[in-house]
Amino acid sequence: MSNIDYLLHESSVGYAIFAVRLQSDTVGARLKEVQDAHTDLARFGKMVQLVSFAPFQGAAQALENANDVSEGIMSEYLQTVLESNLPKGGKKEKSKVVLGVGDRGLAGSVKGAFTGVECETPDTSELCADLLRGLRLHAEKLMKSLQTGDISRAQLGLGHAYSRAKVKFSVQKNDNHII
Amino acid sequence: GPGAKGGMKVIIEPHRHPGVFVARGKEDLLVTKNLTPGEAVYGEKRISIDTPSTSTEANGDVAPSTKTEYRVWNPFRSKLAAGILGGLEDIHMKPGCKVLYLGAASGTSVSHVADIVGPTGTVFAVEFSHRSGRDLINMATHRTNVIPIIEDARHPLKYRMLVSMVDCIFADVAQPDQARIVGLNAHQFLKVGGGVVVSIKANCIDSTAAPEAVFAREVVKLREERIKPREQLTLEPFERDHAMVVGVYQRSTATS
Repeated sequence: MSNIDYLLHESSVGYAIFAVRLQSDTVGARLKEVQDAHTDLARFGKMVQLVSFAPFQGAAQALENANDVSEGIMSEYLQTVLESNLPKGGKKEKSKVVLGVGDRGLAGSVKGAFTGVECETPDTSELCADLLRGLRLHAEKLMKSLQTGDISRAQLGLGHAYSRAKVKFSVQKNDNHII
Repeated sequence: GPGAKGGMKVIIEPHRHPGVFVARGKEDLLVTKNLTPGEAVYGEKRISIDTPSTSTEANGDVAPSTKTEYRVWNPFRSKLAAGILGGLEDIHMKPGCKVLYLGAASGTSVSHVADIVGPTGTVFAVEFSHRSGRDLINMATHRTNVIPIIEDARHPLKYRMLVSMVDCIFADVAQPDQARIVGLNAHQFLKVGGGVVVSIKANCIDSTAAPEAVFAREVVKLREERIKPREQLTLEPFERDHAMVVGVYQRSTATS
């Protein structure tokens, strides 16, 4: 079972890369004590460290990236962020950098673009699932440049943009029911 | 209709569940405090209550009384309202909570959940149907604590950039694999110890088995998703062959 070196957190405000400092062993992943450590910010804050936070520049870029993430596609922006923040791993299995990402599709895209990066997902590693849950729970506190409410405000705008695009919402054609 | 006519004497009392209220008049009605006073969402009745001011202004005048508006919540139209009237012990949502609502439809029930969690809470409302989704988005433009998500609840990873960790998942998706859908979303977004409130329509799961057997099987499936069942009740007389199951998410296998 491989360790996880880095984590990718995709949020409404941007991408964040975290380094994993301490990790509980996989065997104990379901123990209550291990779970509690992920829930407690003080303890979780010692397990991970922010390497870089790359905010989206405006609503259009956020929407593009949200669409890509939902399809498991690595956007150019994400590729740049990973390139400049992950150490160059070797091609050999042992010298590869292990990155924890949210889903299989994106893991495939990342592995395809970076030969030195191996990926774990919540499907392959419960530890990865727990670490990503911890990031989601404490995101606003761990990304020091953020203020309380920043993420929810961005979620609101992005939620509307994402959903309107899905239903091809148009203010003018609000009631063009086909009978 | 009867009950909440203007001018009739109505008294508002808080319900056992924080954020829910009861209007006591000619008949008792379940209500929530309107987040957007002056506006109805789906033609529901509203009750305006004068709250006389107890303070006096600097010049000695009595400060003007404030009005608080409540919206009537019909248990025949909302399964959550039916569950509350049926006596649910814990709905796991109250002011300030974050709720992930699966099967948001046009957002009529969602609007009452938005009233309950109030301006400091958030409702992440997921609906796959584009037709209902339009109404949901419209409702959400007036209520900024509702985040509309037009996406398939079977694939929570698709909307992971839009959702935080939540205190409660409410599900009314009426799909045969509903327990699995709830589990997928819980593993992704539900806090440890968070609540799960699921409305189960027996017909949607298995139309050939007895409803009681269907409910029992669904409870087993929820357990397998690390959701510990706490209560179960039927939604009679408001809905037929429906049950509401409430559980708590336990990620660790050690019992507590």
